[in-house]
Amino acid sequence: MEQSRAHSQPPPRVPAAQTPARRDTMFCHKCQDEWYRDEHGLTCPACGSDFTEIVEEDNDPRDVHIHDHSDDTESMPDLEEAPAHLNPFAHHNPWRDAGHDADDPEETDISQLRYQQVAPGRFTVTGTVYRTMSPSGAGRGNPNVGGFASMLNNIIGAQIGQMHTVPPQNDEAERQQSGSGTTPAGHRFHYQANARLFPRDANHAGPQIEPVDEMSNVLAGLMAAFGEPPGGPRAAQNHDPYAPPAHPLNPLLAMLTGFMPGGNAAAGDFVYSQEALDRVISQLMEQTSTSNAPGPAPQSDIDALPRKHVSMDMLGPEGRAECSICMDEVNIGEEVTELPCHHWFHHGCVAMWLAEHDTCPHCRQGISEHSENAGGTTAGGAATASHGAATATQNPQNANTGSRSMPGAFDVEGDGSLDHPFVVPSASPEQRRG
Amino acid sequence: MSLPKRIIKETERLMADPVPGISAVPHEDNLRYFDVTIEGPSQSPYEKGIFQLELFLPDDYPMTPPKIRFLTKIYHPNIDRLGRICLDVLKSNWSPALQIRTILLSIQALLGAPNPDDPLANDVAQDWKKDEKGAIETARQWTQQYAK
Repeated sequence: MEQSRAHSQPPPRVPAAQTPARRDTMFCHKCQDEWYRDEHGLTCPACGSDFTEIVEEDNDPRDVHIHDHSDDTESMPDLEEAPAHLNPFAHHNPWRDAGHDADDPEETDISQLRYQQVAPGRFTVTGTVYRTMSPSGAGRGNPNVGGFASMLNNIIGAQIGQMHTVPPQNDEAERQQSGSGTTPAGHRFHYQANARLFPRDANHAGPQIEPVDEMSNVLAGLMAAFGEPPGGPRAAQNHDPYAPPAHPLNPLLAMLTGFMPGGNAAAGDFVYSQEALDRVISQLMEQTSTSNAPGPAPQSDIDALPRKHVSMDMLGPEGRAECSICMDEVNIGEEVTELPCHHWFHHGCVAMWLAEHDTCPHCRQGISEHSENAGGTTAGGAATASHGAATATQNPQNANTGSRSMPGAFDVEGDGSLDHPFVVPSASPEQRRG
Repeated sequence: MSLPKRIIKETERLMADPVPGISAVPHEDNLRYFDVTIEGPSQSPYEKGIFQLELFLPDDYPMTPPKIRFLTKIYHPNIDRLGRICLDVLKSNWSPALQIRTILLSIQALLGAPNPDDPLANDVAQDWKKDEKGAIETARQWTQQYAK
């Protein structure tokens, strides 16, 4: 479009045969707002743009926009496929199907929208608009940056339309609608819903009071879809015939989501209700629940752990013992793996644990040289059950750590009542300690 | 997916040798899901209260801790409005040597020893620090009102 046109244009002719109170109508190319020149001047009062033009009978820039819009749809279908429940007019492209909907008896009317000023501050618009949505295409994409301007425009138009228009209309009849209003903005034409089409009627002025429950339900749905492609849940919502009627806050929501980078950010990045917040917090808590736990032990260290066979003196006082990870009983002669702290387990059981966290399941001492949990500065050493000394003597290669065993002691690690306040009841009869 | 032997053993032992003041009963149709009740410890504002909890053993249990939550409303600085519990052994200090039994005992102990310096329910913790007497009284009232 010729950007320079707005200002290089000569002053409008005053048509001689006009009604006496003829006023210049201004049109904003940026937001497609309309206003009277004598009220707001040449700069768009809605968006502040000066890319504006005076509407003249033989040079109506709005027609250009209408057709441009239609072209946009051809080349960038995504623009028009913003989630319809967020933006009730997103699918509201009346011209999209004009080409292939040849049976449409009103087709000629579609291209003959009329905008007439009948009196100062009054105008009449006539036209029929078909809202045809392709379910397969619905929600396929998000409004991208380029589409945002037109989306915003639709939003504003929708809001104004709701606030100023029209009694509820019977949308079963395919008839022309005409209406009038007191403001030029947003009153280009009235939309007429068609019974063949999508059952939700965005045309009717919905309740102006925000139904809070429904709002949060919608958001909850989006929250639940956290992480899914944004098109999915919105498309589903789009097909919900019981979706709440378009109301003013939904376009606001559409704006919020539209502002997100690339339109790809999920609505879950924001929360609008306490439940949603709780859900996010729960999720974070889950994700970080073990983030403070020590990291995995090196596989080589796990593989290098000494194996030994269960002997009589490794069994508990009742002559029984079990691996405290799988809780299976271990019998004399069975091979187990012993950690530096002399606690022993089935190799498979403890290897699985150490591969996630380098801590002894009983005393939290680490197995790897570099592990902070293995730091030998702790005088108290690891909590070791009463048989610790006995097992230590059987493993001379671990004599260096054996010195930290405290026979007969159950105390927690000396350094850690704050970090590791939990005392493992290692002497409990169920948890055989060797 | 078959139930690991460990879960079966734990369940059997909880049944055969229950912990005083604590019960944990698995659902018939989901043996990883337990209905839990914990009696409030004596000498605490939760005394005489019977608190319902739900406990779920995830697929990788015991490599990951059980998921557990209060169903009964409770006024406690380490338990939030949704019943989520702030307890280290349920999070980073979990160990596979711990069991349902030991975890439930830890929770019971937490009722007896609230820790407002490591809060989950921030507002409760603030009340607790500002006016411990009042907070304890509130906890007592909530116990009478909800933990029956």
